[in-house]
Amino acid sequence: MGRNNLWSKLYLACVFLVLYSPIAYLVFYSFNSGGTMHGFEGVTLDWYKEVFQDTRLLIIVLNTLVIALLSAAISTIFGIAGALAIHRIRRYRRKNALLSLNNVLIVSPDVIIGASFLILFTIAGIQLGFTSVLLSHIAFSVPIVVLMILPKLQEMSPTLIDAARDLGANNWNVLSKVVIPFIKPGIFAGFFMALTYSLDDFAVTFFVTGNGYTTLSVEIYSRARQGISLSINALSTLIFLVTIVLVVGYYFINRRNGGKRARLGVPTQ
Amino acid sequence: MSHLEQQQPIIRFDRISKQYDDGTKVLNDVSFAIERGKFYTLLGPSGCGKTTILRLIAGFTESTQGDVFFQGKVINGVPAHERKVNTVFQDYALFPHLNVYENVAFGLRVKKWKKSDIDAKVKEALRFVNLNGYENREISEMSGGQRQRVAIARAIVNEPEVLLLDEPLSALDLKLRTEMQYELRELQRRLGITFIFVTHDQEEALALSDEIFVLDKGVIQQSGTPVDIYDEPINRFVADFIGESNIVGGTMIEDGVVRFAGKTFECVDRGFNPNESVEIVIRPEDLEITTPELGNLQAKVGSQLFRGVHYEISCNDDAGNEWLVHSTRKALVGQNIGLRFDPEAIHVMRIGETEEEFDKRLETYGEAGNAHD
Repeated sequence: MGRNNLWSKLYLACVFLVLYSPIAYLVFYSFNSGGTMHGFEGVTLDWYKEVFQDTRLLIIVLNTLVIALLSAAISTIFGIAGALAIHRIRRYRRKNALLSLNNVLIVSPDVIIGASFLILFTIAGIQLGFTSVLLSHIAFSVPIVVLMILPKLQEMSPTLIDAARDLGANNWNVLSKVVIPFIKPGIFAGFFMALTYSLDDFAVTFFVTGNGYTTLSVEIYSRARQGISLSINALSTLIFLVTIVLVVGYYFINRRNGGKRARLGVPTQ
Repeated sequence: MSHLEQQQPIIRFDRISKQYDDGTKVLNDVSFAIERGKFYTLLGPSGCGKTTILRLIAGFTESTQGDVFFQGKVINGVPAHERKVNTVFQDYALFPHLNVYENVAFGLRVKKWKKSDIDAKVKEALRFVNLNGYENREISEMSGGQRQRVAIARAIVNEPEVLLLDEPLSALDLKLRTEMQYELRELQRRLGITFIFVTHDQEEALALSDEIFVLDKGVIQQSGTPVDIYDEPINRFVADFIGESNIVGGTMIEDGVVRFAGKTFECVDRGFNPNESVEIVIRPEDLEITTPELGNLQAKVGSQLFRGVHYEISCNDDAGNEWLVHSTRKALVGQNIGLRFDPEAIHVMRIGETEEEFDKRLETYGEAGNAHD
């Protein structure tokens, strides 16, 4: 048994090594004074300096954050309503049909969603830019939020709502004082998922952005095509750090809300 | 409170029927009245409609037919949060995201009471259920019995006219359940409000209630005090459901004379047609084991179980009927014995009799001058 255990640990280590080595490689060379991704010459923070001196880049970072926070917040609100609506449906078939429609949006390729949004916005005459990016991000985040909240709703005993009404709560009280607090971990999970999806979305944004408006992922892509500059490495490293902070933060919030029954919610795709 | 209001039943069901969309009938033409300040129990097997009655009173569901009256006014369609009743749920339904204090304060908060009033009231309610000092505990830190008390405090803090209890003791272990039975009874006396308690546990019903409604298949089979229902069950279902019974078929020769197990006995029941087919109930504790010569019936011991307080002895008479006897003395399996019982121990049931007819017939017992208890 001890042998088996050793092999499985080794295997696990290998998997994570393969997963993280490209990122480690990228981070490592962000400190290279040599200016290339081969032949490490010396440690420097010049590339980071360059990132912080690039005002255009900083504005793009700001754009990305604004889009991510706004789309996550709005899609969380829509997602709560959607999850409540789906949860309320009694008929099994109808419920399943709606759930499937919801899940199709999550699994369908971003390229198709992006292209279809491009066509939609063009037909509707919406100018490509902030609005179009925001709308499309909200659209692809809502199904994720719904999926994160539904299990929590299913976990909730229906007598809780009866009890609240019995104690004199009207519909609004029931929602605000019982249902929302109960599903709060799901709401947080959905919000953070929407946030990360929005932050790193490339395909959809690539289609619907325009008029000089751009987000980080699209900007990094276009810079990487223009030629190699290690400032991209530095920027990517910073984003990676922010992501780690987000994940850790989410973990702690979830643990605090879930008490002893802490669970890290992962979307089922 | 006027004298009239005092007299009026606090809750009345007038020919209530309830049917689900798929056609299943849970309640069938149920009528009853609930008086102020008494402890009522709705007793029956699962699916008999007892919880539906509770939900109709609480306002969680609506009847298909008939009216629910509260203090003389029809309350069909009045939403749950506007009714002056509160419920203690089977799973307690405490809010897991709130602590003990906030759970109890919930009803007052949604009614927008003043903070200081809420504080006084919540503390009082917690003192009532012996939970003072537990205000800041989380629900997850409370034991089953304590949760039960929080649920009761959360309900009574709203000063309901009627407290509904939906099998609140079923999740507790036996010892705690007995303890809580005493506490509930005591609580009802101190509060002086009407309790409507739902259970499938007949012992609980007998121990707690002023009045019991025995339900089966969406119909009230019998209502009355625990003693009445135990001593004078209306039919086979009630006799079987409440306590243990020996039920055998027989013939009522004439008033006061009944024939079963191949013999004729004196009894105190009357109001039957001559030679009417009836069912006879004799409780196991009313049977006494003696020698075959002294017994009213002769039987042979088939099996025996030790139940702690008593032995449960199963014997068979010559006619093939099985008799269950509760005795503090041990019997020998295979032994021939006699079963002795008094005429008062025999309870004769007319087949298919309604509660109204049954009550009317019972009244004639008294007129005939038979002390029967």
